[in-house]
Amino acid sequence: MAQYSLFNVWAVSLPLKLLLMGGYHSTDFDVHRNWMAITKNLPIAKWYFEDTNQWTLDYPPFFAYFEWVLAQLVPPVVKNDGALDIVATGNYGWPTVVFQRLTVIASEIFLFYALQTYINTSKTAAGKRRAYVVACSLALSPALLICDHIHFQYNGMLFGILTMCLARARSHRYVSSAFWFATLLCFKHIYLYLAPSIFVWLLFQCIGFKPVKFDWQLLTKIGLTVIAVFAVAFAPFARQLPQLLTRLFPFSRGLTHAYWAPNVWALYSFADRVLIQMYRHLPGVRLALDRYLGADITTKLSAGSELLASATRGLVGDVAFAILPTVTPAVTFGLTLFYMVLALIPLAMNPTYSRFVGAMTLCGYASFLFGWHVHEKAVLVVVWPFTFIAARDRSLLKPFSLLVSAGFVSLFPLIFTPMEWGVKVGYTVVWLMVFFVNFSKVTPVPRSTTPKSTGGVILDRVVQWYVLGLVPLVVVVTVLEVLETKYAVLQRLEFAKLMLTSVYCAVGVVGSWIGFNALYFGRDDLWNDDDDA
Amino acid sequence: MARPNTKTTRRSAADTKTEVKNHLDTPEKDAIDHPKPVLWYTPAFELLQYFQRAADQWTARYVVVITALVIRIAVGLGGWSGKGVAPMYGDFEAQRHWLELTTHLPIHQWYFYDLPYWGLDYPPLTAFHSWVLGKIGGAIDSSWFALDESRGIETIGVQTFMRYSSLVSEMVLYIPGILSAVNLIAKTFKVSRMDQIVVVLIMLSQPSLVLIDHGHFQYNSVMLGLFLCSVVELIKRRLVVASVWFVCCLNFKQMGLYYSPFIFTYILSQLESVTQLVMVGATVIGTQAVILTPFLLGEQPLATLTQIVVRVFPFARGLFEDKVANFWCVSNVVIKYKTMFTAADLSKLALLATLASIIPINALLFYKLKSKRDQQTRIAAIVIGFTTTALGFFFFSYQVHEKSILLALIPATLLLAIDPALIDIVQWINNVGCFSMYPLLKRDELVLQYWVTVFMANWFVGAPRLNHHSWLWRLIMVGSYLAMIGYHVADATMAPPQQWPDLWVIINCGVAFAGFAVFYGWLHYRALQL
Repeated sequence: MAQYSLFNVWAVSLPLKLLLMGGYHSTDFDVHRNWMAITKNLPIAKWYFEDTNQWTLDYPPFFAYFEWVLAQLVPPVVKNDGALDIVATGNYGWPTVVFQRLTVIASEIFLFYALQTYINTSKTAAGKRRAYVVACSLALSPALLICDHIHFQYNGMLFGILTMCLARARSHRYVSSAFWFATLLCFKHIYLYLAPSIFVWLLFQCIGFKPVKFDWQLLTKIGLTVIAVFAVAFAPFARQLPQLLTRLFPFSRGLTHAYWAPNVWALYSFADRVLIQMYRHLPGVRLALDRYLGADITTKLSAGSELLASATRGLVGDVAFAILPTVTPAVTFGLTLFYMVLALIPLAMNPTYSRFVGAMTLCGYASFLFGWHVHEKAVLVVVWPFTFIAARDRSLLKPFSLLVSAGFVSLFPLIFTPMEWGVKVGYTVVWLMVFFVNFSKVTPVPRSTTPKSTGGVILDRVVQWYVLGLVPLVVVVTVLEVLETKYAVLQRLEFAKLMLTSVYCAVGVVGSWIGFNALYFGRDDLWNDDDDA
Repeated sequence: MARPNTKTTRRSAADTKTEVKNHLDTPEKDAIDHPKPVLWYTPAFELLQYFQRAADQWTARYVVVITALVIRIAVGLGGWSGKGVAPMYGDFEAQRHWLELTTHLPIHQWYFYDLPYWGLDYPPLTAFHSWVLGKIGGAIDSSWFALDESRGIETIGVQTFMRYSSLVSEMVLYIPGILSAVNLIAKTFKVSRMDQIVVVLIMLSQPSLVLIDHGHFQYNSVMLGLFLCSVVELIKRRLVVASVWFVCCLNFKQMGLYYSPFIFTYILSQLESVTQLVMVGATVIGTQAVILTPFLLGEQPLATLTQIVVRVFPFARGLFEDKVANFWCVSNVVIKYKTMFTAADLSKLALLATLASIIPINALLFYKLKSKRDQQTRIAAIVIGFTTTALGFFFFSYQVHEKSILLALIPATLLLAIDPALIDIVQWINNVGCFSMYPLLKRDELVLQYWVTVFMANWFVGAPRLNHHSWLWRLIMVGSYLAMIGYHVADATMAPPQQWPDLWVIINCGVAFAGFAVFYGWLHYRALQL
């Protein structure tokens, strides 16, 4: 049997990561530097109170411990560079950059270890090969390169933990799986969005209806493991718990992030913008809207113009809608929960591993599409679980290819420096080429023997044209960017450019969600575990 | 204990069929249809094997090329020649300055304008190339190339534009040149398609050119691309087209002259009639005339032409400028040429030595080409001839830059398309070549980029490989690698002794020169065996 080792993949991707050290990094760099400084210089009781720097510690305790470990490793030359100073804005140089970049590269080794574990625990030869393609696609994901090695974050390590959770789940090692997921939650709480799926899945491993069973031993083991992990994480902060929680869950942010993540709210905001323009310029629309919505639109448009303007410029803050109803956190929360529950029902009835990963993907989708203040980077939360099941069946590859192409292109505005343009675009193109070829190679042809309907064929074409349409999108946005310095008119269009990307990508992500739902709820045969899920 | 959901797995006939199909897809099975690639053991092959089916090979080519481009951009994030070193800066500023002066001045002033500040001293095609890029860049942002006022400009905008201009310049000629040269040569020598792709990967990840063009900053890839186009035409036996490309190569950078004795020898050996001779001669003169026409149409054509020659061939400069791994610089440790001879004598001496170094190989290859008419001898002679002649010039000619070793390294790497099994020697000489440029790269703050690209190029082929079948080669390579490591350790940890501040650099030159000399000798041996 062929040996599928990720070592070579790691070594080959290493040079690019090292070369990118000197390039652009976002304010997240100072965030993590500040956290290192806080954990190194202050007693544990003050970690979640310190606010000299605006980037206060707002991740759960394990991440704080992780930063503490990193701070212990800082060599004198980096310390003298200002890496460990608690200051309003970090004043650091090349040594700090090298050190922190290397910590990202080193911590990512855990991701490779986790993915290798996933490959090695596959049972059949074909399964190993499929696992290898899945693992490579994740290890080399453009989203990780953009978020971790250019933008600066530690997603690689965190998704490594999630991978361990999934690998253990596939091997039916429930306690271990629960352990890894609890650990993940104590590193970064964004993964709470995925928690319902694993909770329901584990619960229904202990409780069964056909035949009726109740495995209290397993339930106790899982429960104790999770409690133990949380105890280790939060016990040292027992006295500061309320403060810690306000840091973790700040409810003061706006509906959309500075740049709209490609989700339902991007489409919603876009629809509102379109309606405003129609209202202003088309008398017929104006009459109709006035009749149905009352006469307060004009007042809203004039009184709320400040808010509207701020939203048009895309700054962080409350987004006001002039024509469409305002979206409250409760609404987003309700919608997210609704779609999550919908996904959990089939899982509860048939808690297979494949169903579980599918439900996790749908939980990711729900949080990404309907959540409050979603970052574009959160698309990884959907891509990650999806990748593990994408290679099960050709029919799953369609929504998958939509999701990855739209999702990765939507990350482009995150890196706006001109030098890195070629890196993000070139790397993503290579990734899409390599993995479109390889995923379809290792994926079994659809299990249903019915010939493809005309509708299916047309849908395939639409998906293909959509993906190809990303090319002109990137070209137009790039040309606008290049000419921006020359023509002041274009500078005012800056937000339009971002809106174009996020709306186009939102269509793809929403489309992939619909396609995935159809398969999740409509094709029961896809979700039974086989020898090598 | 809870057991996993034990619903039995449904394994239909369709499933089993899929399994079988998947198995047939596996690289091991697929490889049976093709000759086994020589480079199958390399990590690069391990990654590319998934594209082994003929239908997927195009993907592999694109993947290799785009990856090479991404790496080049990433190298461009680092330093460049003369970054922030006012008032003269370095090669980056020189190139940028030429974009500035060609777009703002009438053509007859190009070679006269403010000569002490990076006056134009490359042949006309470089000037035209600069003009085109300058026009495009100026249209995007006029401040980048504003006459005189833009001197020393290092904004992110101009930096990006220059970086991408060298990238695009490389994409236009050099990369297609590599692809078709490797393809043509490999076909003649029946090298497997997968080997070809790996060889293309090796050529495109050659650190020396990446670091010089996209780190240090120059447009060598254009000159080398024109050269490769010429080689492709030579292989196809189209002497006239080849001469057009070659004259363009010379007119882009005078360094192209390193190749000229051999192309002369080669064309002479291939001529079948006087008509052909006349046609090639007329093509050379005609192409040169076309290139010079814009200058002839400008004001004071004669003065301009004279000035071009004066600027392009600077015999007023010294025998060698910086420390460079050639014969003069290395033997200068013992024999102080500059005190023993006048500049005029030295240039004559250099000329004689260069001739002595290239005449034997050219004569030998001429004889071989005349006596053996088969494709394989012909192509091998082309590759060996260009490499050896370029090395001869590098060792003995006047005014050699460390960057000139690129001219020998590019055809040398083409040896892989003849026989991929030569990977150990080619990889070694590539490493030596990149090593010889380390002092330059260190000045440009490209140390990180140097190590990373060298690591990557060597990782791809699983090198450095030291298991050559001949004990002599093993000894040479191990010795050479140990010396290089020794140099790097010394350079990183110790300052050179006070009485010899250049000691480390001299050691670098010595080690590299020894490597080049061995390679030069080995090529003669290969030529004898043809």
